[in-house]
Amino acid sequence: MSALLRDRLFQAWILLCAVTLLSLVIGGASGAAVGVAVLAIAFAKAWLVMFTFMDLARAPLALRVIACVWLACALGTLLAIHAGAAG
Amino acid sequence: MRRGGSDLMQDSSAVSPRGHIPGEAGVWLLIFGEMSFFTALFASFLHARNGDVAGFAAGQAQLSRTIGAVNTLLLLTSSLFVAKGVGAAQQGDTIRAPRMFALGLACGLGFILLKGVEYAGLFARGIAVTSHPFFAYYFGLTALHLGHVLIGSGLLAGLTAATRRPLAKPSHFALMESAGCFWHMVDLLWIVLFPLLYLVA
Repeated sequence: MSALLRDRLFQAWILLCAVTLLSLVIGGASGAAVGVAVLAIAFAKAWLVMFTFMDLARAPLALRVIACVWLACALGTLLAIHAGAAG
Repeated sequence: MRRGGSDLMQDSSAVSPRGHIPGEAGVWLLIFGEMSFFTALFASFLHARNGDVAGFAAGQAQLSRTIGAVNTLLLLTSSLFVAKGVGAAQQGDTIRAPRMFALGLACGLGFILLKGVEYAGLFARGIAVTSHPFFAYYFGLTALHLGHVLIGSGLLAGLTAATRRPLAKPSHFALMESAGCFWHMVDLLWIVLFPLLYLVA
């Protein structure tokens, strides 16, 4: 069991499941900040999936940079449109 | 090499060397292309919602957050199994690798089943694609994603069969990693789709 808990893939899975349940709880509340928080959590989860399950952590620097920039641009675009509704 | 043992307990990580591109380089073009396409659809959804916030909120209230969350957990679990399967296959473990891919496939099939249950529940209440723009987006986005889940399930079925024997050529490893990355992309898309459709009010 301790070997399982030390496994980085299993650790990532535990974290992803916990954060999913957290966003479910947060999503039950109302307010524009809730949408921002839930979307930010979603993209943090996406980053974790890319860098652990897809093994991007060992990929060449260029691919890692492209992935991070892409995630930041996608999140920024969606948050800007979401802010349009809130504002 | 033919190994077996206690599946999840075995460490199948840290197999690929640093600087290694997971899968074929071309599959990353596909992955970023697909994710960009979906992001454009997500942006379109949010833009449409800005024009009718109350109507979209009413549509969202018809969805089951529990089913959405369980489906998220199913895809996350399937991604864990697939990552474990790729690692096991790289180590030449012809017992654990197909078992991991089969478990990942089972989670994917569970997702498809639950999505069917959700669709059936909505149809039973008279909700269809044309009921409201929210549902046009909901059915359009989830059906498009479901198509990717079906393709990914086919790939996982292929990996389950292929990894029963040791992979001989480097190209086989690259194809296996590419199929694994495709499945993780399916998971990634749902990770963003779930909060957009079910949670962001």
